[in-house]
Amino acid sequence: MNKRVAIVGLGHSGFGTTSPDLSYREMIFEAATRCYEDAGGIHPQSIDSFVASSEDFMEGISIADEYVPDQLGAVLKPVHSIAGDSLQGLASAMMQIKTGQQNIVAASSFSKVSNLSNHEHLISYATDPAYIRPFNENPYFIAGLEMNRYLHETGTTREQCAAVVVKNKYNALNNPGAVYAAKVELEDITTAPYLSAPLGIFDMSGHLDGSIVILLASEDKAWELTDKPIWINGIGWATDTPNLDSRLEGLGSARYAKLAAEKAYRMAGITNPFHEIDFAEIDDTFSYKELQHLEALNICGPGEAGQLLELGCFAPGGDFPVNVSGGSLGCGYLHEANGLQRVAETVRQLRKEAGKRQLPEAETGLAFAWRGVPTATGAAVVLSTRP
Amino acid sequence: MGILQRITRNIDNRYWDPGLIGFPVKNSYTAGVAGQRFFEEIKENGRIFGSKCAGCDLTYVPARIYCERCLSGLEEKDWVDVGDEGTVYAYTEVHQTKSGEAKEKPSLIAAVKIADGLLIHRLGDCLPEAVHIGMPVKAEFKPKNERQGGIEDIKYFKPF
Repeated sequence: MNKRVAIVGLGHSGFGTTSPDLSYREMIFEAATRCYEDAGGIHPQSIDSFVASSEDFMEGISIADEYVPDQLGAVLKPVHSIAGDSLQGLASAMMQIKTGQQNIVAASSFSKVSNLSNHEHLISYATDPAYIRPFNENPYFIAGLEMNRYLHETGTTREQCAAVVVKNKYNALNNPGAVYAAKVELEDITTAPYLSAPLGIFDMSGHLDGSIVILLASEDKAWELTDKPIWINGIGWATDTPNLDSRLEGLGSARYAKLAAEKAYRMAGITNPFHEIDFAEIDDTFSYKELQHLEALNICGPGEAGQLLELGCFAPGGDFPVNVSGGSLGCGYLHEANGLQRVAETVRQLRKEAGKRQLPEAETGLAFAWRGVPTATGAAVVLSTRP
Repeated sequence: MGILQRITRNIDNRYWDPGLIGFPVKNSYTAGVAGQRFFEEIKENGRIFGSKCAGCDLTYVPARIYCERCLSGLEEKDWVDVGDEGTVYAYTEVHQTKSGEAKEKPSLIAAVKIADGLLIHRLGDCLPEAVHIGMPVKAEFKPKNERQGGIEDIKYFKPF
């Protein structure tokens, strides 16, 4: 029990707003083989177990776990799926190693959302059929309600939310894999049409296709596969009530993020995340979410994130760089694969392989993912060059 | 291992029409013991019911048969008429349809706080710019002969 677990391999396929040339199976195959190559060219025969993360219907298939094994090299191997964010899948893979049951485990995820022709209908399908769905509204009205309440409770301004979009799209210019990179002005965001006021159409990240596979290993195996293992020092996840009618406390704040982070910090022995963590890749599905999540993750106090952002604290050169990769607003939104994308970017920084966007100080990083509307589920992981 | 050949021209990409190989999902939902009674009270009596967990001192609206905090069962004696008034807890003006197109007329949706619950509903009889958090609102029921036993038996909430 209690073996140390490291990330030893990283591979991705994509990214693009569409991906007509590859089927989703080929996409995962590509990411998997690149990951195995990254882990010293390991053969999938040597991998003990596999965890895939996906949600039914998102790619036009259901019972998604039946679509998993072959493209990962997992046929006739232990394999299971997590119907959740891939960061929850990473936790599952990590636990298999911690228990001593397995030594090397692959975690896979993908998004082929371009297969879906009416995305909002599917999200709406995830809301309550008796109390919410009869209104027949665009389901992102829930994000509109959340943003309205968050701004009210914290005094954060609409402009501060727009500044998140400006920052992340600008950061993305240094990321060759970021599809939604752009230099934009605050007014471009604040004067855009509303999706669900106060949420504007550019306050929401755009869809993205791609696949990410990450290989985990126990400490003794890790050093055989790589000379740059990145250690998973803490991980946690939590879910707030799924009922909108009882989110009195949870509508304006991200309680799921607070609880997930507290568990991850405790496990990693972190008491002051702002000082003990060098940077973060955190969910920015919507502009306000980055600020709300920063506060819930205890990087700053409630209502402080917007001001700290304006002071440059979260810029690449600031005290606590956030989403240097461009985040979902700059890179695109990978649905259940978001978590592994946040992890992959954190690993690149820690390995000092982040190219033009490499941070000078990157020894310990935080990755956080949220499952998006209408969920209240989040997962946090603390990664480090030091076990 | 690796992919050596790729499709490089759009004209060579094929896709399969979901109209032919997709499936029309059809469901029939039931509202459950609590939901049935909740909607029945709205339909027959124009009354909104919550259910109170005495242990947690929390009144759920809409009513339900268990407390999600302590998992106690909420029974007949725990049902309370919470009245038809509440306050706006959060609101949004929805500008896009479910198909992602711009709406001709945006709709106002609010989380209306009644007791300790949030009823998600439309706002009516008010200008968008007049809406604010904390604004008192009241349920406007449909005429009884038009009610069907669902959440839309309440037309909307309006300021009073």
